[in-house]
Amino acid sequence: MSRQANRGTESKKMSSELFTLTYGALVTQLCKDYENDEDVNKQLDKMGYNIGVRLIEDFLARSNVGRCHDFRETADVIAKVAFKMYLGITPSITNWSPAGDEFSLILENNPLVDFVELPDNHSSLIYSNLLCGVLRGALEMIRKLRYAANA
Amino acid sequence: MWRTCIRDPIPRSQSSELFTLTYGALVTQLCKDYENDEDVNKQLDKMGYNIGVRLIEDFLARSNVGRCHDFRETADVIAKVAFKMYLGITPSITNWSPAGDEFSLILENNPLVDFVELPDNHSSLIYSNLLCGVLRGALEMVQMAVEAKFVQDTLKGDGVTEIRMRFIRRIEDNLPAGEE
Repeated sequence: MSRQANRGTESKKMSSELFTLTYGALVTQLCKDYENDEDVNKQLDKMGYNIGVRLIEDFLARSNVGRCHDFRETADVIAKVAFKMYLGITPSITNWSPAGDEFSLILENNPLVDFVELPDNHSSLIYSNLLCGVLRGALEMIRKLRYAANA
Repeated sequence: MWRTCIRDPIPRSQSSELFTLTYGALVTQLCKDYENDEDVNKQLDKMGYNIGVRLIEDFLARSNVGRCHDFRETADVIAKVAFKMYLGITPSITNWSPAGDEFSLILENNPLVDFVELPDNHSSLIYSNLLCGVLRGALEMVQMAVEAKFVQDTLKGDGVTEIRMRFIRRIEDNLPAGEE
């Protein structure tokens, strides 16, 4: 159902609560559809991936961020620009691996979970797993978009 | 899965695109789950209702809006405060009925549909129907029974998106709203 965004107007700013509750409705629906948490986690990741491959285009158009030269720059852009833009929060970056190929994003507040308590029978559910898919999809598309631009 | 929210007091604001795409994922999932558009519309309305009965609490806490004395004030608050707060847009209010119990919200831009095109086989889908449920659920919690429905939709080729709001009756008893 998706097409290229045809928005001539500037981006709209909103409070996060309606998004939070809509995300909750999505997770609840998936929990009804799938028998176990693992399948819900996978579906959230897949949905997130599909979102990420579209969101990156909007991000690049609006953020004016140039090419990142290394993974450390990428981490900075993710935490300070992307999370801020789309979730209104700025995670901190910690725990770099010696090789510089792994790091952690620490979210003091996660808007997706503002109203949420996991029931006991969903202990394996990774409630916010959509975000992992978004990150994966968006970053995968960067490589493809850059390749296309240079071709 | 829900509990009363204890949020940090600093209001966060975000751009709408992640929300828009997440909403799209929700509608897509419902279209897989239900065989026909009518059932998806109903489910969106029901989900919206469950969201609305919770969202109103946040709205009242953060907006400092006092009690509305009539439906015209309610319309103003919905358009200028609530839509602005949660969707970043301000619909205009038009087409009041002579009795003052019906009006239209005209949305020039609907953030929910920013990336969306309805396929031909979903011509009966009311894509943004979650919003009607939200309005219905939220207003029920402030003792107003209303009907909300889309009468025009840019996704279907109309020039604007129009939500028709109709006041049904005041709810006198204060029993907590059950989830549908």
